[in-house]
Amino acid sequence: MVDNSEPNPFAPPPNGWTRVSPRLALARRIVLLLVYLPLQAALCVGAYAIGANVKGWAWLWWTVLLCGLVLFGWLWWYLGRRARSWGYAERADDLLVTRGILMRRLVIVPYGRMQLVDVTAGPIDRMLGLARVQLHTAAAATDASIPGLTPDVAGALRDQLAALGEQRSAGL
Amino acid sequence: MTADDAISPSVSTTPVRTSPVTPAVHGIRSLGVAVVIALVLNRSASHTEAVIVAVVGAFLIWVWQVIEWRFCTYWFDADGDLRVDSGVLKRNQRRLQLSRLQAVDVRQPVLARIFGLAELNVEVAGTHDSRVALRFLSEHAAQDLRNQVLARAAGVRHDAGEAPEQVLVTVPTQSLLLSYALSTRTIGLLALSAGFVAILYWSEGTVGLFAALITGGLPILGLFGEVSRWFDATIADSPDGLRIRGGLLQRVSQTVPPGRVQAVAFEQSLLWVRLGWVRVQINVAGVREDKKGGTTILLPVAPWPVATALVQRIMPGLDFENFDWQPAPRRALWRHPIEGRRLAIARVDAGLATRSGFFVRRWHAIPHVRMQSVRITQGWWSRRLDVATLHVDSTPGPVHVVARSRPAATISALAFAEADAARLARASDGPARWARAVSQ
Repeated sequence: MVDNSEPNPFAPPPNGWTRVSPRLALARRIVLLLVYLPLQAALCVGAYAIGANVKGWAWLWWTVLLCGLVLFGWLWWYLGRRARSWGYAERADDLLVTRGILMRRLVIVPYGRMQLVDVTAGPIDRMLGLARVQLHTAAAATDASIPGLTPDVAGALRDQLAALGEQRSAGL
Repeated sequence: MTADDAISPSVSTTPVRTSPVTPAVHGIRSLGVAVVIALVLNRSASHTEAVIVAVVGAFLIWVWQVIEWRFCTYWFDADGDLRVDSGVLKRNQRRLQLSRLQAVDVRQPVLARIFGLAELNVEVAGTHDSRVALRFLSEHAAQDLRNQVLARAAGVRHDAGEAPEQVLVTVPTQSLLLSYALSTRTIGLLALSAGFVAILYWSEGTVGLFAALITGGLPILGLFGEVSRWFDATIADSPDGLRIRGGLLQRVSQTVPPGRVQAVAFEQSLLWVRLGWVRVQINVAGVREDKKGGTTILLPVAPWPVATALVQRIMPGLDFENFDWQPAPRRALWRHPIEGRRLAIARVDAGLATRSGFFVRRWHAIPHVRMQSVRITQGWWSRRLDVATLHVDSTPGPVHVVARSRPAATISALAFAEADAARLARASDGPARWARAVSQ
């Protein structure tokens, strides 16, 4: 059904996307490990306990383990791809941010509409030397943030965006 | 208007307190609580003890209200901004930058109305809790303060007085009642109750009765709420912006200055179509629909031509009569089997509009100049259908200008065209202090 000759709505701008650090994928995968492994272990132990007590259910624990490993493998791959999908581009009057694999998004934020720019970094981000730049406009739906920047890029981007925002500030 | 008028709005005033009757009004509410406590105590203790507890309790609450009242003052500072100090143990000092004023409302709850008092709410857009409520002022003081706030925000002399107004629309009570009875929600709930009664009849259970009572009772409660909220609803236009008034027991009068309406939506229940009625909703930054007087409903019900004329007036160039609707492609029916045929988008010089909804028809529109950001989203199923969704973001509110299932091939051009149109429109937007536009 998809006609590849048609222009893609998420095609890169003339100057191309600035991609985020590849370490973002690592950060996402660390979170996956921290959340997923304990959960998987608990499920397996539960399944093993059922198998040990109910006759004919001994197969349960390794089925759970196998399904879990397949899911884990897929998530590992998916999170990596999703982390690499982030990109942004600074144009003359607005900032473009794109992301997403299953749900693809592109947001255009005019500099004049930016109310504040945050830089945040969680513990895992700091460990890997990453930071997130978050833009806020008067619309709650704007949803423009760029994770996976190195702290100096994030700081420079914040200052530049703040300066451009100041220059073109347009009230509400 | 002379230049001098426009430059000297910032005359500071000395701090004043709210009306001295305020503690008594708050006290009456607490009296009710005290009586309830006394009634509960009455069961275990003797009559006299219960009465003493109630009286002492009410007195203590009243004393606290008096102290709170003593600590609450408001004034205009040298920059012409409104300042409010309040709080006894935790002092709270607020400064409301009036150039960012979004809405002012004067609210009169029943109790305050009996005492001839009113509450003044001033909303300046901010990230959170940017509203200040002064309760209570005498009716006259509230009106006067509202006029001063508006005059200072507009950039004219603070004692310019109330701007003259022109009534645009009034809503007759019978249309209010009829529109509520015919709304899709009411009909749906009544149909549901009928279903429950039928189940009850066949199965002889009691759960159905309970459910039928709820679904049947909701529309009646809702009807009362609607009428009491919108009784005698009036929209008037003045140089200070739109005045939205209404209410049976609690009267609310909201003023939204020019250029503060961010986006507008029409809503039409299926049974309103033949009558040609719509409900008009607006986004105003910082204003939510709540019991505290904020309203995002501009007109609870109005004939289509009246509503379109009103929108033309507040957002010149957005003419709902003459939009050139471009429907979504037929393949959108795979995503939206019911409303697919209704989905459409229209672009005009002044703004962008979308159409959607089947059981409740919706038209949402935003002027380019009020756009905050533009987004394109595309899920897995949309990609299969080669469509994508365009969002033109506005401040939080009931209006969401979302064009679902547009052809993917053209959506990118549409989004960037919108960003460009918004940039050009912003460059020629009026000043935040709206009266200055006239004097310049």
